[in-house]
Amino acid sequence: MPFDWLNPYHLQVASFIFINILLGASIYVTLSTGQLSLGNAGFMSIGAYASAILTTRHGIPIPIGVLTGALLAGISGVLVGIPALRLRGVYLAIATLGFGEVIRVVFVNWESLTGGAVGIAAIPQMGRETLAALEKAGFSAASVGLRNNQFISLTVFLLLFAAALLSILFFLRLSSSRIGRAYAAIRMDEAAAEAAGIDTTYYKVLAFCQGALLSGFAGALFAHATSYISPADFTYHRAVEILVFAVFGGSEHLLGPVFGGIFLTLLPEALRFISDYRYIIYGALLVAMMIYRPQGVIDPPLIRRLAGRRAAEGAGR
Amino acid sequence: MTLLSLLDVSKRFGGLAAVSGVSFSVREGEVLGLIGPNGAGKTTLFNLITSAFPPSGGSIRFRGEPLEDLKPHAIARRGISRTFQNIRLFAQMTARENIMVGRHARSRAGIWRSVLRTRGQRAEEARIREKTEELLDLMGLAGCGELPAGKLPYGHQRRLEIARALAAEPGLLLLDEPAAGMNDKETREIRQLIRTIRGLGVTVLLIEHDMSLVMKVCDRLVVFNFGRKIAEGTPEAVRGNPEVVEAYLGREEDDEDA
Repeated sequence: MPFDWLNPYHLQVASFIFINILLGASIYVTLSTGQLSLGNAGFMSIGAYASAILTTRHGIPIPIGVLTGALLAGISGVLVGIPALRLRGVYLAIATLGFGEVIRVVFVNWESLTGGAVGIAAIPQMGRETLAALEKAGFSAASVGLRNNQFISLTVFLLLFAAALLSILFFLRLSSSRIGRAYAAIRMDEAAAEAAGIDTTYYKVLAFCQGALLSGFAGALFAHATSYISPADFTYHRAVEILVFAVFGGSEHLLGPVFGGIFLTLLPEALRFISDYRYIIYGALLVAMMIYRPQGVIDPPLIRRLAGRRAAEGAGR
Repeated sequence: MTLLSLLDVSKRFGGLAAVSGVSFSVREGEVLGLIGPNGAGKTTLFNLITSAFPPSGGSIRFRGEPLEDLKPHAIARRGISRTFQNIRLFAQMTARENIMVGRHARSRAGIWRSVLRTRGQRAEEARIREKTEELLDLMGLAGCGELPAGKLPYGHQRRLEIARALAAEPGLLLLDEPAAGMNDKETREIRQLIRTIRGLGVTVLLIEHDMSLVMKVCDRLVVFNFGRKIAEGTPEAVRGNPEVVEAYLGREEDDEDA
């Protein structure tokens, strides 16, 4: 086989990077209006369970399941976002964290629908389903020089890459439009934003909904990448992990949490050779960040510097 | 032509009557000064006009339509913009971005048009940028566009806030102490700016403590004390009004007691 170096395990780690990029972006979108939501693990589970149940029990195709899951999460985002308007700062963070736990407890106890603490297994896996569909059309993985498990992992990798890339482009463009400016204005001074003609209620609920939608999307993709989900995947550990993407990577630009998602997914893998000690390094790194770069690795001045250098190089050529 | 009219407007905070039974109107194209001692209710009146909170009684009409039930952003859309006494810029944004935000009420691209960058959206953004550059020039901020608003010198921040308010192309501009904390030279610049703004066809309602500025730039004055209107008229007429003199300087008997 010509592609023996293509290791399904590495592809799987890379695939989780894309899921985490989506999750990092999801907390950023809501935070860009100044609302810190820790409910994204909960919205993620709504997307994951909705899509898993629809595809596994009702034979709905994966793309429709994923879209429905994301939409349901988005609708829940509106329902949570409206009362959340009354809360600010740490109170909002605690309330949304509580929301996530409530959702998880519902999933644990609603056994007839969710399988309870055991979760849902044998969820159609997107790579396997793609291969099955292609094989029906007469294609085989061997014809492109890949083993079946390589082909499956590669398909998952490429699909998640596309999903992450499109989502990031979507929100990068949004943030450099009048809507992104409205979000930033609300984060910096809500009263001044309102006086400048910005409907702060609408945009805050919109940002909450978009963050929830993105979490739900990530959750649904997660379900179809791993083919097994349980409430343990969506505990408050997950909520804090998502928060750390933003804290570590930077919360003032979309690319901050994206970087955080990439780096913090890779770090434990890269440090696997020191096994149990790796989380000590992970923790020490976070403490060092808090001291030396509290705004996170990536902040708008850094982006401007990088963009400026590129522009200068372009002009010099 | 009456642009804004207040009829018997009151605002109570608990037992405190911040504004009571105030009526006056602002005519199209004039610069109307609101003056009075600290705590007289001038800024409260601005907050009532922009619906930051609702009046306890009375009615406020802009171009004949009542404003009381509208939210502040809807009032900005109708054409009333304001600045704040304690400058409220978006500090981490650049000066240019601050003005672009001010254009929000005069642009409309939604989520999909913004993400897909449709022809209409790009034309709208180009118009926003064009208008922003005009305002930077007009306010003497050319060259400051890329600086973070929070890092600008104080006088520039005041002017940037006015530029942001003008970006919405308001019919009525509420200026809350634009010359506060400024030296003589900067105050003269503000006077010039207010005249320029009026030249653009924008009606100005001005709160200001600097009497020389008020006397020189205002067409008419409304004087407040203890939440009530105590006088209204041309600067000359108001200056000679004994009640106004008393509000500012105290009564003669008080002087004798002291």
